[in-house]
Amino acid sequence: MRNLLAFLAKYHHWLLFVVLEVVSVVLLFQYNSYQGSVWFSSANYVAGHVYEADASVRQFFSLTRVNKELAERNFYLERQVTQLRRLYGELTADTTVQQRQELEFLSRFELIPAKVVSNSVDRPENLITIDKGKADGVERDMGVACGNGIVGVTYMVSDHYTVVIPVLNASSSRISCSIRGRGYFGYLRWDGGDPAVAYLEDVPRHARFKRGDWVETSGFSAIFPQGVLVGKIETIYNSADGLSYRLKVRLSTDFACLRDVCVISDKSIAERSRLLNQVRDSLTMKPE
Amino acid sequence: MAVETLRRLAVFLALMLAQVLVFNHIRLFGYAMPLLYVYFVITTRRGYPRWATLLWSFCLGLVIDIFSNTPGAAAASMTLVGLLQPYLLELFVSREAAANLKVSASSMGWIKFLTLAAMLTLVHCMAFFSLEMFTFVDWLTWTFCALGSALLTLILVLGLECVRKS
Repeated sequence: MRNLLAFLAKYHHWLLFVVLEVVSVVLLFQYNSYQGSVWFSSANYVAGHVYEADASVRQFFSLTRVNKELAERNFYLERQVTQLRRLYGELTADTTVQQRQELEFLSRFELIPAKVVSNSVDRPENLITIDKGKADGVERDMGVACGNGIVGVTYMVSDHYTVVIPVLNASSSRISCSIRGRGYFGYLRWDGGDPAVAYLEDVPRHARFKRGDWVETSGFSAIFPQGVLVGKIETIYNSADGLSYRLKVRLSTDFACLRDVCVISDKSIAERSRLLNQVRDSLTMKPE
Repeated sequence: MAVETLRRLAVFLALMLAQVLVFNHIRLFGYAMPLLYVYFVITTRRGYPRWATLLWSFCLGLVIDIFSNTPGAAAASMTLVGLLQPYLLELFVSREAAANLKVSASSMGWIKFLTLAAMLTLVHCMAFFSLEMFTFVDWLTWTFCALGSALLTLILVLGLECVRKS
């Protein structure tokens, strides 16, 4: 404190100088419209840059939301394209009816956007947790997809979280898939190892397809609607028993950087599933 | 002390009136404008309290500003000159010189006095015209104004000093 006072006593004229200059500058800006305007316009220039930086930071953080919306949109459009391609291939006489049916078909689905909160790809039994649960309308055995393709099936549902069994679960994941444009189907399983490769099994021997064909969901599984992208056929093998083909599929979904996904909620699928269960029950109860 | 203050006040008023009534109306070649009031600060004696120098110069600048409608410009540049004067003065006088040495051509010698006066005048003119124009886009005009005014002021300081000596 004494040092400070000594300092002030020694250099008080500097302090006075600063005060007087500040007074002068204030007068300069206060009473001269030109200098004032220059000052304020340069101040605005600085302010503009600050606001610009601020806006870009805000934009960066809103990217998460934008990303989610895009994932949802992408998924929707992907399905639409698939459907249209199929319809075009069928070349029916009355295309407007088909389009109407198409729209009706798509409107049946409710997409619940969700975010992956935990994920793994390095174990044989991987599980994914997403941040949506019963409260958001997620139920057991609903399909989960992302913008790039299939992800998995919901398994355990709590109020706000859901555990998904992804394709990358060697023991539990069996998803019915078909080859796009060919119609032959098999089921998708993963053997562990490379998280970008899975196998489509039980494809009949008489099936005609070639490497590079796309694999998509078949719509038979009562979980996924038809046409959700799965991946691309990379190599064709014979199955162990020689009765079917075993196709190595390069998955279109990158499980290692999964973030935004959609839960596909389809009331009709649930109904079909219920019906199927009833049938199974009645068959098992039927006396031999 | 009181006599000194009164004398300074008299010089203050004289320079102020001269500036306001005469020199403010001179714009030689459209650029050079004598700013003779800086003479007041130049001639502040050695050992004069620095805070007082600052206050005097600020007040003189402020008064000039009030009369010539340039609020702040002359006050700011005069305060700057008031701050620099004691430091520059020390460069030109020997240590053995009187602690209350008067700043004039007769006591310091013409060369030293004029160098000191030229430096302070130049600083003042440059600061003043920078603040008045507040842009360096038209730097040629700024250079003409600052250098021309400094030269003209210096000539007037020289004349004033001659009159004082005789």
